Amino acid sequence: MKTRGIRYLLFGLLMGSYGLVCFLPPAEGAVLDGLMGGVEESLGKRAEKKGERLIIGNFYQAERPDSHAPIGVMQDHTHNKGEFMFTYRYMYMYMDKMRNGTDNLSINDVLSPSRENFAVTPKNMTTQMHMFSAMYGLNDTVTLMAMLPYVMKEMEHQNRAGANFTTHSSGFGDTKLAALWRLYAFETPSIGAHRFHLNTGVSLPTGDINPTDNTPLGNNSLLPYPMRLGSGTVDLLPGLTYTGVRNDVSWGFQALGTVRIGYNKQGYKEGNRYQVNTWGAYRWAKWISTSARLNWQQWYNIKREDGQLQTTVGPAQIPLVPTAYPKLQGGQRLDLMGGVNVLFPEFMGLENHLNVEAGAPIYQYLDGPQLRQAWSFWVGWQIVM
Amino acid sequence: MKKKNIIGVLASIFLLMGVTLTHAYEAGEVPNVGTIHGQVIFSGTPQAPVQFAVEKNPEICGQERSLLKVETHNGFLVGAVVVLENVRKGKPFPTQAFRGNLPGEGEFRYEGGNSLGLRVKTKGCNFGPFTGVIAADEAVRFQNQDTIKHVLHSFVSKDTKGRILRTVHNQDLSPRDEIDRVFPSDKMKDGVVVRIICNRHDFMQNWLYVVDNPYFAISDQEGRFRIDEIPPGTYTLLVRHPVLGEQRQEVTIEARGDLQVGFQFVNE
Repeated sequence: MKTRGIRYLLFGLLMGSYGLVCFLPPAEGAVLDGLMGGVEESLGKRAEKKGERLIIGNFYQAERPDSHAPIGVMQDHTHNKGEFMFTYRYMYMYMDKMRNGTDNLSINDVLSPSRENFAVTPKNMTTQMHMFSAMYGLNDTVTLMAMLPYVMKEMEHQNRAGANFTTHSSGFGDTKLAALWRLYAFETPSIGAHRFHLNTGVSLPTGDINPTDNTPLGNNSLLPYPMRLGSGTVDLLPGLTYTGVRNDVSWGFQALGTVRIGYNKQGYKEGNRYQVNTWGAYRWAKWISTSARLNWQQWYNIKREDGQLQTTVGPAQIPLVPTAYPKLQGGQRLDLMGGVNVLFPEFMGLENHLNVEAGAPIYQYLDGPQLRQAWSFWVGWQIVM
Repeated sequence: MKKKNIIGVLASIFLLMGVTLTHAYEAGEVPNVGTIHGQVIFSGTPQAPVQFAVEKNPEICGQERSLLKVETHNGFLVGAVVVLENVRKGKPFPTQAFRGNLPGEGEFRYEGGNSLGLRVKTKGCNFGPFTGVIAADEAVRFQNQDTIKHVLHSFVSKDTKGRILRTVHNQDLSPRDEIDRVFPSDKMKDGVVVRIICNRHDFMQNWLYVVDNPYFAISDQEGRFRIDEIPPGTYTLLVRHPVLGEQRQEVTIEARGDLQVGFQFVNE
């Protein structure tokens, strides 16, 4: 009864927020327009002394390669009223070697009864995602975003007998819906442009949380947490984004959260995840820029557990595999990424961006044993119309 | 107590309605109307046009474009906007059209009648003349007669030269499309000028001064202006230019009078 009440409440909140966005009278500016009079006067005087104009509320990103953040960053910019953007992103992530804390573990370390004492250990994992997203400038205040990923995962294992086996899962992941609220923007030629927007969104549980595959335990065995395609819960996606640009240099900062609401039908919920992105880019020519990005992520352990997931094996109740344990899922990681953005301003009569980014962690602490990330690669094509 | 609150709220609403009504311009017959005419003199060194190399759509916009922000002719200022303030009743808004400078065939057309009825015809990457007028709270029709996209970006400013510009609209103007955009008075506040630019073509820049009555004129090629059918009375006559600033004079229109005034802008 209580669960049903929470569901109705969430549904109401969701519908209410969409009603708010869709049926409000058309907004004509940023949320904080008109509330920053003191700041504007001060900036205006400084600009006047330099013979410049102060422009308030211009969120337009000139057609430049770095007008969009590196492709691994999402919801980084807003759109003008009536403007559409379609994006296809492809991500490849490779994880290898087990780690506990900041220490790498060998296969023997994980399997040895005198060490971690698991019957099976993951050896490596690849995750591929095809992400299809669209953004639409509903009005001069709100930009809407929807994203549906298709996820493919593959994990290679080894057991104590030295035998290897691989599990696979694939399918659509969780659907993300977001509204980006323009907060404030100001610019002058000498201080550049500075733009702030609020990210609000929800993740809907369209990804499979019961993937199965053939394993030594049997055919169609339920796969553990890292192989699942979604969280199984409705998640809130709050955040704040700041971007700046001056001459050939641009930069940005984004803090995003994934806050899980309730427990999924398997009886657990994934830990909340928080990430901070900061990036800088340099435009070498009108059509190309390069970028460097730092991405800090912290994610927490799973709460409760999936009761249908086998966690031990044999009469001795030997722990089966680390990926089946809710308390071995959290961690922190700092990635360093490098990217290239290329602009095709009039390709097929539309503004097109081809963006590539790749990088690797420079720090990761894992509540392990857990597979560490080795590197990741992103490529995306964006069409603005 | 509650009854008093309700009465207070109702009284405030009626008061606000009254204020609004007293500020609205009313077209109607006024006897003994007079005329103002004059010239705007420019002294000093004329500004050279700003040159732009056209990067986008040169097939439509041309390979090179220039923008003459201070246009003068034989020592007279062209395109100064002359506005008579605080006229509440009088002639209807006139029907007139002003072409932008070549190349391009942009035009500001004022449909007139009970409202200003501004139509911005964009053609050849040209919105229209460098200066014009605009009215708050009525739809402005932006017509894109080009086969390319323009990104219409409009700002409002509280001062004549637009030192602090606030975005009002920022949106695509698709090829062969037309859109109506209202410039609401709550957004305009005490703004005196609207600047419109195209985010894709940086030479497309225009300044529209806010008017609330039909008593305005734009100085012609000889710097001349003429405003007629003015109800007798004392008014403030303003001359505004986006680069040269603003000048004002108190003027008194006699019954059937014809007043000649002059303004002089100096470019230092």
